[in-house]
Amino acid sequence: MNKRPLRVLLAKLGMDTHTVGVTIIGHALREAGMEVIFTGLKQTPEMVCAAAVQEDVDVVGISTLSAGHTRSLPRLARLLREAGAEDKLLVAGGVIPEEDRAVLEEAGVDRIFTMGSDTRDIVAYLDQWWAERQAEEAA
Amino acid sequence: MGQDAGDVARRLLTGEIAAGARAIRWLDDRDPRGPALLAAVYPHTGRAQIVGITGPPGAGKSTLTDMLVAEWRSRGMRVAVLAVDPSSPFTGGAILGDRVRMARHALDPGVFIRSLGTRGQAGGLSRSTHDAALVFDAMGYDIVVVETVGVGQDEIDVVNLAHTTIIVAVPGLGDEIQAVKAGIMEAGDIFVVNKADRDGYDATRRQMEMMLHLRAQSRPAQPETPVLRSVAARGEGGAEIVEAIAAHRTRLEGAGDFARRNGLRARAQVINLVKDALTARALELGGDAIFDAVDARRIDPHGAAEHLLRQLDERIIAA
Repeated sequence: MNKRPLRVLLAKLGMDTHTVGVTIIGHALREAGMEVIFTGLKQTPEMVCAAAVQEDVDVVGISTLSAGHTRSLPRLARLLREAGAEDKLLVAGGVIPEEDRAVLEEAGVDRIFTMGSDTRDIVAYLDQWWAERQAEEAA
Repeated sequence: MGQDAGDVARRLLTGEIAAGARAIRWLDDRDPRGPALLAAVYPHTGRAQIVGITGPPGAGKSTLTDMLVAEWRSRGMRVAVLAVDPSSPFTGGAILGDRVRMARHALDPGVFIRSLGTRGQAGGLSRSTHDAALVFDAMGYDIVVVETVGVGQDEIDVVNLAHTTIIVAVPGLGDEIQAVKAGIMEAGDIFVVNKADRDGYDATRRQMEMMLHLRAQSRPAQPETPVLRSVAARGEGGAEIVEAIAAHRTRLEGAGDFARRNGLRARAQVINLVKDALTARALELGGDAIFDAVDARRIDPHGAAEHLLRQLDERIIAA
């Protein structure tokens, strides 16, 4: 058992109520030994930021399937910076058109997983990030 | 975020959320900075009322907690919540979903909600829950709610942690035999029948009252234990429960039991820490050889334990 499990907050922003994807991701991450915190639906960026700080998670994962993400995700990234939580990894997944990618990455989204992503790739990405982060802290 | 224990301790004592959150992470991860941090904040603890909420899965513990938080907030009290959910014994992973039912408090600066996985600990809490409650106490929260995992028949560690333990039941879940078996029935300070609008409410309430009546006969010195009703999903019953919790604190303080419970909790924690440390040292001395000997049936488990303890004694004498 991992002595120091990765903690991941999974949330959905705005009026998007499509939960199948985020639920599957949550279970995949749990199976990979991570602690997954769900916040529920209809969250504002402010609510997600507050939860990420209180839970002291390492990763904030946002599932988005009904647009609005070009406004809400940059706002969340800014709030996390203002809260001194810019060291948390910000990951987005779902229906994200290719033309939005640059805007989001520019705004501080660290990684985007589009529709059809394999949960194993997501787990591998997070595992690798966590291993590197822990190695950095140990150094 | 400063990574120094003294700095984080200073900041959490001023109520800074991020510092309290980081402190709990260290304690949960058993980070080496945890003990120094606790040493710095411990003198500032002892004021908060720790309220345990326990009961079977599906009883509505999170929804009840959400309602009580709203009630305390309407009275101007600051509230922290430790919501414990089970970790997988196979992968160590966990789904921590209690926040979902408390989302309306997300932006309230007077409410701090923290989710914890049990991380291999039996008994309905994580190993870190006691220490996390101390952090919230030091941060100045008036109430620290500890919501356990859904418990079965004997996971009652929360009783040793909380000043006031609330047992939540729902109509139609368990028959009489289950209630009799359940050690949790012996432990509660306040009983709540949640989802009281459901069929079977009267029967569940009667069973509880009968149990409590028998309990009172064997412990005549104890004051009467309230049985309250709630429909937490509709916000019904919160005021009465919060008042019963406040009355329980007043009664504990009047009898000198509030401080006494803090003392008992600290004592139990000291004993556990010594146990853990001695166990680790003894196992270090014995190495794998002692377990190999047990596997080969050259020595039995009791003998092996004796052997390790003797070695430990000898080392202490030599030192």
